[in-house]
Amino acid sequence: MEVLLYGIINSVILSLLSLGFTLVYSISRLPNFAHGALYIAAGYIVWLVINKLGLPYPVAIVVGILATSLIGALIYRFIIIRIRGMEISEIIATYAIGLAILEGLRWGGLRGMTFTLPAIFPGSVILFDVSVDYQRIFIVGIGALTFFLLYLFTHFNRIGLALRGIAQDERAAMMLGIDSDMTAIVSLAIGSGLAAFAAILLLPLGNIVVEAGYSVLIYAIAVCIIGGLGSWGGAIVGSFIIGFVQILTERFLSTHFQMVVALLAIIVTLLLKPSGLFGKQKELEERV
Amino acid sequence: MLLPVLYTLLMGCPGCSTLARLLPVKSKSIHTIRGVCMRRSMVSVFLALCLTVGLAISATAAEPPIIIGAPLSTAFLYGWDAERGIKLAVEEINAAGGVAVGGKKRPFSVEVIDTRDLEPGVPVSEALLAVEKLILEKKAAFLIGGPVRSEAALAAMDLLNKYKKVSIITTGVLTPAYTKRVEENYAKYKYCFRNTSHVPVMIGEFTALFDDLKKTQGFTNAYIMVQDVAHARGGGEAMKKVLEGRGWTVGDMKIYPTGTTDYSVGLIDAAKKNTQVLFLWMDMPESAILLKQWSDMKSKALPMGFVNAAEQPGFWKASAGRTEYLLVNLVNGGNSPSKITPWTMKFSNAYLKKWGLEPEGYGTSSSYMAVYQLKAAIEKANSIESDAVVKGLEDIDLEGVYGRMRFDKKTHQIIPSLDPKEGAVTSIIQWQAGKRVQVFPPKIAEGKILYPPWTK
Repeated sequence: MEVLLYGIINSVILSLLSLGFTLVYSISRLPNFAHGALYIAAGYIVWLVINKLGLPYPVAIVVGILATSLIGALIYRFIIIRIRGMEISEIIATYAIGLAILEGLRWGGLRGMTFTLPAIFPGSVILFDVSVDYQRIFIVGIGALTFFLLYLFTHFNRIGLALRGIAQDERAAMMLGIDSDMTAIVSLAIGSGLAAFAAILLLPLGNIVVEAGYSVLIYAIAVCIIGGLGSWGGAIVGSFIIGFVQILTERFLSTHFQMVVALLAIIVTLLLKPSGLFGKQKELEERV
Repeated sequence: MLLPVLYTLLMGCPGCSTLARLLPVKSKSIHTIRGVCMRRSMVSVFLALCLTVGLAISATAAEPPIIIGAPLSTAFLYGWDAERGIKLAVEEINAAGGVAVGGKKRPFSVEVIDTRDLEPGVPVSEALLAVEKLILEKKAAFLIGGPVRSEAALAAMDLLNKYKKVSIITTGVLTPAYTKRVEENYAKYKYCFRNTSHVPVMIGEFTALFDDLKKTQGFTNAYIMVQDVAHARGGGEAMKKVLEGRGWTVGDMKIYPTGTTDYSVGLIDAAKKNTQVLFLWMDMPESAILLKQWSDMKSKALPMGFVNAAEQPGFWKASAGRTEYLLVNLVNGGNSPSKITPWTMKFSNAYLKKWGLEPEGYGTSSSYMAVYQLKAAIEKANSIESDAVVKGLEDIDLEGVYGRMRFDKKTHQIIPSLDPKEGAVTSIIQWQAGKRVQVFPPKIAEGKILYPPWTK
């Protein structure tokens, strides 16, 4: 039972970590390598608002999400827009922005292991003879709700439909009057907001450290490669594959191999289906 | 030196007197000129006084400083706390007059350089470049601190031999290979000293604590969780071997890759195996997740070990008190407030006054003490020449912040002990109601080990 329970928890955590990255890529084909840095920056902003400004936690959450979304939008508006369409340049630029954010935070005082966010629901409960804390249960619930709301947003909201339109066929969408750059700004703002949202949910489990920014990015990329770049459904499936593989490895093989198995899953996916399980990109070329 | 001052005071402005004699002007005009001149005269007097006093001061402080190079990974606890410890000691020593050498008093100065060797993916060569820069560009006469990572410190030993620079390792570097090398090739590595601990010594300390728990509590079941890095794996494996040899049942030894974010399976497994002591050896930030999970799951095992995340005074607040009952080895005494020797609290208070917080963790007290050890060695040798200072360090024997401090002459390792009168002592603390209470070794314990109520 613990494998099932913690497998689900681990998978939802991974999908929350990768959701923002997937969303940005699926809409604007922009590999946002600053995703991990935005995740940590959001956590630090919330921490600052609580501990330095003395504002209540709910206010800090709102400030954190809005500020991170704004940072994401500004990154596109002032940097990415100039190199739009040049994929290698986009990767280099976003990675450099991420490095600058993380090292800037370190330089600005985010050092040590004493920075953390309070758990929204402290305490634990026994479920099916397995002890689980409320925060993790909350994460699963909120994670599922987030996926559902995002589905509604992209299928029944004008902005969401515009985002999907751009993702499906940018030229056709532009002919219909959808502004490509504005859509990309919105997508990066939402993607960054989702990174902040994940940070607020997940950072109370541990602490806010610069190094985590790099591992978040690695997990997001891993999930997207397995699920298929640009596919939301694929990202969720990818998260569940890695999440369960890690728990099963820990339970039946050795904790030592957790990361190895996850990386092996990436290599196998790249060998058998380079576009990922649900990836649309280059799928036709692969078949040919 | 006093001549310009005396002349100005007695004669007034020489230029003004000449002017009065030469210029065919009325006395009032002369007075006006004299008024301006008087002000100038006062300014001259003031400047002359400043010059005189300045020259007088510089005459006593003109001795060039002895430069200490501190290669440290400053973005991490084991780097910045060491830097603070070194700077505090240097400030104290300079305030007391400096180092007596060659019939003069010379001050210390510190040059810190970031080796970045604790950052993931940074090659050892970066740390070596930093060490070389300190020696060649910053003209460091001695090195104190790191490099912090064992691999980097081992690689730097050849540089120390090349430039014949005395170094005292005070933080990180838990490998026994460091001082073993000195023993095996003394002529080459004699410049390398370490005033902190290493894995086998720490295993001995933990073993004594396990023995105590077995004797007093009847505990016999342990479970080991370590990080997948060399020193932690080595520590875990050694501990497992020792425990099994002493009648303990070790449920399992889990090795977690750096960056692991979930420990539930291991904790549940430990609970199923009726674990009484959970032995941890980790320095990754994610160990905070493990501790919070341990607390949330109300695991019945008492956690203890070498856990970097839980060393800092602020960790209690950061973990919302969920670090309660955790036993942490701070490697050296004095890394938290305690009364090991009369100097321990003096140091702790001075650190609190200067940096606004208690000594933070591993590397703090040892880095502070290394400066005093160096001072004592230089004064004993009456020289800053490296070979003489090596001899001085081998010969010094002083009561420091964490007990009697003397180096083994063959290995240049600080001699450890569980008694501060015999050697350098460790500090195993337990988090109790927000405080780090020293609970081991017994000779310096300031409180008893408490057990979580849910373990009964």
